[in-house]
Amino acid sequence: MTPISPAIRKALRLLAVVVVAFVLASCADDAELDTLGEQLAGPEARDIGSFMTWILWICYLVFAIVLGITLYAWKNFRIKTDDYEEGDWPEQVHGNTTAELAWTAAPAILLAVVAVFTLGLHSSLNSTDDNAISLVVGEETVAWEPEVVVVGQQWWWEYQYHFGDVDLVAKRVENLPAADLTTATQMVIPVGMEIELEITSRDVIHSHWIPSLNGKRDAVPGRQSAPWKIQADEPGVYFGQCTEFCGLSHSRMRMQVIALPMDQFQAWVTAQMEGVALDAADQAYVDALVAGDTPTPENSTQRAIATFRGKCASCHLMENVADDLWSSERVAEQLVSGVAPNLTHFSSRTTFAGGIRNVWDPDTGLFNANDVRSWLQNPESIKANYTEPVSEGDSRMRGMPNLGLSTQEIDDLVALLESTGPKPSPEIITETGVE
Amino acid sequence: MAIIEEPLAIGSGDAVSETVDRPLGDLTRPQISHTWRDWLSTVDHKKIGIMYGAAALFFFVIGGAEALLIRLQLATPNGTLLSPDVYNQVFTMHGVTMIFLVAMPMAAAFANYLLPLQIGARDVAFPRLNALSFWVFLFGGLFLNSAWLLGGGADGGWFNYAPNSTVTFSPSHGIDFYALGLQITGIASLMSAINLITTVLNMRPKGMTMFRMPVFTWMNLVVQFLLLFAVPVISVALFELTFDRLFDANFFNTEAGADPLLWQHLFWIFGHPEVYILILPSFGIVSEVIPVFSRKPIFGYSFMVFSGIAIGFMGWGVWAHHMFVSGIGPISVAAFSLSTMFIAVPTGVKILNWLATIWGGRLRFTTAMLFAVGVVSMFTIGGLSGVTHSIAPADTQQTDTYYIVAHFYYVIFGGTLLGFFAGFYFWWPKMFGYMLNERVGKWNFWLQIVGFNLTFGPMHILGLQGMSRRIDSYDKGFGFELWNLVATVGAFIIAASVALFLVNIAISRRQWKAAGSPNPGPDPWDSRSLEWMTASPTPEHNFDEEIEVEGLDEFWHRKYGYDENHHVVRIATAEEVAQDGSNTNVHLPSPSYFPILLAAGFPIIAYGLIFSLWLCIPGAALLVYGMVGWIFEHPDDPNAAHGHDHDHDDDDPDAIESGGEEEDQGELVVAGATTETEA
Amino acid sequence: MVDAAVGLEEHHETNTGISNNKLAMWLFLASDCLLFGALISTFLLYRTNISDNTPFTAPSDVFDIPFTSLSSFVLLMSSLTMVLALSAVNRDDQRNGRIWLLTTALLGMVFIGGQVYEFSIFRAEGLGYSTNTWTSAFYTLTGFHGVHVSVGILLLLGTVFGTRKSGLGKEKAQTVELVGLYWHFVDIVWVIIFTVIYLIPIG
Repeated sequence: MTPISPAIRKALRLLAVVVVAFVLASCADDAELDTLGEQLAGPEARDIGSFMTWILWICYLVFAIVLGITLYAWKNFRIKTDDYEEGDWPEQVHGNTTAELAWTAAPAILLAVVAVFTLGLHSSLNSTDDNAISLVVGEETVAWEPEVVVVGQQWWWEYQYHFGDVDLVAKRVENLPAADLTTATQMVIPVGMEIELEITSRDVIHSHWIPSLNGKRDAVPGRQSAPWKIQADEPGVYFGQCTEFCGLSHSRMRMQVIALPMDQFQAWVTAQMEGVALDAADQAYVDALVAGDTPTPENSTQRAIATFRGKCASCHLMENVADDLWSSERVAEQLVSGVAPNLTHFSSRTTFAGGIRNVWDPDTGLFNANDVRSWLQNPESIKANYTEPVSEGDSRMRGMPNLGLSTQEIDDLVALLESTGPKPSPEIITETGVE
Repeated sequence: MAIIEEPLAIGSGDAVSETVDRPLGDLTRPQISHTWRDWLSTVDHKKIGIMYGAAALFFFVIGGAEALLIRLQLATPNGTLLSPDVYNQVFTMHGVTMIFLVAMPMAAAFANYLLPLQIGARDVAFPRLNALSFWVFLFGGLFLNSAWLLGGGADGGWFNYAPNSTVTFSPSHGIDFYALGLQITGIASLMSAINLITTVLNMRPKGMTMFRMPVFTWMNLVVQFLLLFAVPVISVALFELTFDRLFDANFFNTEAGADPLLWQHLFWIFGHPEVYILILPSFGIVSEVIPVFSRKPIFGYSFMVFSGIAIGFMGWGVWAHHMFVSGIGPISVAAFSLSTMFIAVPTGVKILNWLATIWGGRLRFTTAMLFAVGVVSMFTIGGLSGVTHSIAPADTQQTDTYYIVAHFYYVIFGGTLLGFFAGFYFWWPKMFGYMLNERVGKWNFWLQIVGFNLTFGPMHILGLQGMSRRIDSYDKGFGFELWNLVATVGAFIIAASVALFLVNIAISRRQWKAAGSPNPGPDPWDSRSLEWMTASPTPEHNFDEEIEVEGLDEFWHRKYGYDENHHVVRIATAEEVAQDGSNTNVHLPSPSYFPILLAAGFPIIAYGLIFSLWLCIPGAALLVYGMVGWIFEHPDDPNAAHGHDHDHDDDDPDAIESGGEEEDQGELVVAGATTETEA
Repeated sequence: MVDAAVGLEEHHETNTGISNNKLAMWLFLASDCLLFGALISTFLLYRTNISDNTPFTAPSDVFDIPFTSLSSFVLLMSSLTMVLALSAVNRDDQRNGRIWLLTTALLGMVFIGGQVYEFSIFRAEGLGYSTNTWTSAFYTLTGFHGVHVSVGILLLLGTVFGTRKSGLGKEKAQTVELVGLYWHFVDIVWVIIFTVIYLIPIG
């Protein structure tokens, strides 16, 4: 029995601190992305979290046994090098088949039990229900089985809503029918419903992950994931982050799920189905442009419309402003992913630039014109981007280029973007605030 | 016919006649000169092993510097030390370097040095091929890192998922360097695997049956089989990637309808066995160190061996657990989830057997023992977090977060690297003839273990809090700040510990010189296996004569017996039993310049593929020159080298007269010249 | 200590009874199985994609099965001549050993010639290496096999011409046997590739 030296004692204490910290892992309360603990908001995430918590306790126990045996042996069987005697040999045990079979069987049995529960949870996570809600879309009422097509591209998420009775299983996203409603970086869902996700990608592999609601699922180009789902039990905002390395701005590819009560969700759908609301003079200006005339813009909105149609519309869709100029084929000639965020209701969202900047200032509730302006001035100042053509033979780009807009053009566009609305509620603006 | 060489039997004398071997006219067969040139032409498995180790340490310093950059970037939120582009290159090159250029060659260093010694052989089966493996690996590693100077490193992560690795998404040459560099080091691994398997299966002396081999040898045998079958799979994946990038093939071109999961399957069919390739050598080292310092034989030898084999087999049936969230379908996920869970069983058996070995022993906590016990406890954490990943539903929350990062560091650092350090301290006297300083060694260990837990322990928490992997920065407000800072501090403690190890090498050597270079004797630790049964440092010819083996732990059983009460009693001292390495008449494989020349062809061809196909011509020419020279150079120049130890320059005249050897390639035979002269 | 000279061409007793060289060759071939396994898996993944970017609907539109069968037959016959070569060398019949080795190499060259001819036809019909996933997988798989056959031919020729001075006596039987092992392996792999690519219809 030799006393443990102070240095060792100190080190052991440190080790203990680390282990305790490990146990306390789930206690951090400011962690929006936490996978264990209180803020889990969907049945899937909670099932996983509580199962994982059990497993962690088993792990702590096994580790405690191994460490305990080691430390016990250390304390009791240690011989100081100076006291090492030539003839002091312990009994030479070469093994014990019974013991070894026992400790082969014990973990096997333990794991078999874990396996049974694992399979149960696995099958429940991979099943889907077919509950539908009744939703007014345009003129008609449809029974919608909540389903969202999630499409990743460098470096933002697109969410497509198809309210009709269409088959959403297509190997490639280009083969899907046109969506009724498309939005970016924020998925809005009705609360308390199971939402099926059809996850895919337009360029490289991404991974869609809202930790509070469920585990992640990769977005693989040319494939549609096996069914995956999320459900939020409470209205609220749930943060996410792309978790499959997808290139330069992987870190800045974020998303949020906003769960709304049914009536607010209905209102959101109704608003999103409309184009940009313009007053009569501006509407007439747009109509003239669409008809092929070249009227002179007379106010900021009209100048912005002209700029948008001239410099933005080849990639971005803005309904009722420039939808005549936009086609997916045309975008595919410009961008590798073949799509840019739909800007029709830009200011109804609260984040932009891949979910890393606020559209509305969470403190003041005012439009965050500064960041939008910086973005229009030079996107790379906000998000690392590739704006060079892919190669000599391929002029497509992989991000928002610097368009060289004048200050006047930027000011006009900022005002137009602010007016796209409808402005989200103050609670949403506060809860979704990033940075 | 490059592999046609003949083995050398231990115990045979040599056949000598002076020949000047000039297979291609200009390159004279190198003679042993005991200068640095020897290292370029050596075919001695021990020198090659040491070179593997030195190269791995060199790359370890590079990879470690990259790690520190990563940790500095992530120390605080919104780090700006590295641009996103550079960060992606740094973490990619860090991973690739640490796995392919540090962990694997370090294991190769131990395997090369020790496998022939532990089975009691003179050398590996194909000594020149062994040299070729090393040089190909070294040039491949240098080639890979030269990307930094030629436009930037690979930026797709070590796993390099398609289609992010195609030209469209990674237009720089970094990934070309990755694909070709790993292809080259893969060739080295494959040749080495064939060589070492043949050595272990074929070159054992009388009585050394398979189940009398030390556990270290067994684990490495399993590793070499894993390499034999895993390397060609990654080779195909790398060929396909290279062809996509350089010749416009469509294997991973999703725009042409390719399936990106092809890369994932091929990569992980290699990649999971690779994990066991990384960990089993360390298991072998621990299984050697623990019995020696516990004064007990390894508990359950056959369970240890069979669990290693079982891990090797089961390692092939779990690869898709890296793809639980890839969308491979619920049935596949369930199947791979179960297979992964049960691979924990043989691993657990190993841990418990080590604990049983320690139990009731007489434990001597030397630095080597500390590191070995460190492996047992730290690897347990890694193994347990591995079990949590095998639960597919939990893995959907954990994969690609820092929880996974924590897991594999507890496996690869806590298991593999700590095991290597145990090996360094344990075998250093055998390799270099002096002991590493134990006091510094203990500091080295405790700094290492504290730094390691500070760095990677918090990553469990970060991961469970939802911090994604491979992100170059994070925002405030997610609870990531504290633990990232702690991890960064820990990383610098690890760096200090590694620096201390390097310093220890120098200090120990100086102290040893100052003390008059005392020889540590053949057996400084009172060990059990055959490598301790010859002088330290190991003489060039390993053993003076063939050892006839009668059981497991042969050396120990020659030193100790049992009295009537079954107590252990010494029957002989190590010096009495061990060979003194004085035999000067051992015929050794001849050195050759062709391995290094041939190997140099590979990176030149690779540069050619990237920059200008014209460069492939000189590269290929060098390759062909090396091969032709190799074929026409007799593998075993009877004159070129003998087992002359530095200390023995008195030739046995009998050896010189004992018969000539007709060269079948028709070289000039000069009779009667003296053999080698000692400077 | 000074035993008899180490006979460099004499084989020491090995633990397995298989010489080191032969064991190494077996190990290499085992490893090569995985190489072809991975390439064949890749091809299987893309085997139905020939219609992408081409006018063809199925591989049978471009394959000339009788022609490829004939060249496959030639390759299989080369295994027979390889056996005859080894048996001649074992009998110390140098003349016939050389003849059969050269015949084997010749048959291999006929096969390679057939492959080159076939590739050029496919190319002319619009199936370039980059045309679609099928063509990339097809050319890579058959190309890797072609490279293996070509290396085999070099080994055969090397054995014949490299032994002009020293003779192709019985002591070279092992060398010939090793080349033979490799050659038979490459033939067997072709049987699998031929079946997978040419004989199993898609759909």
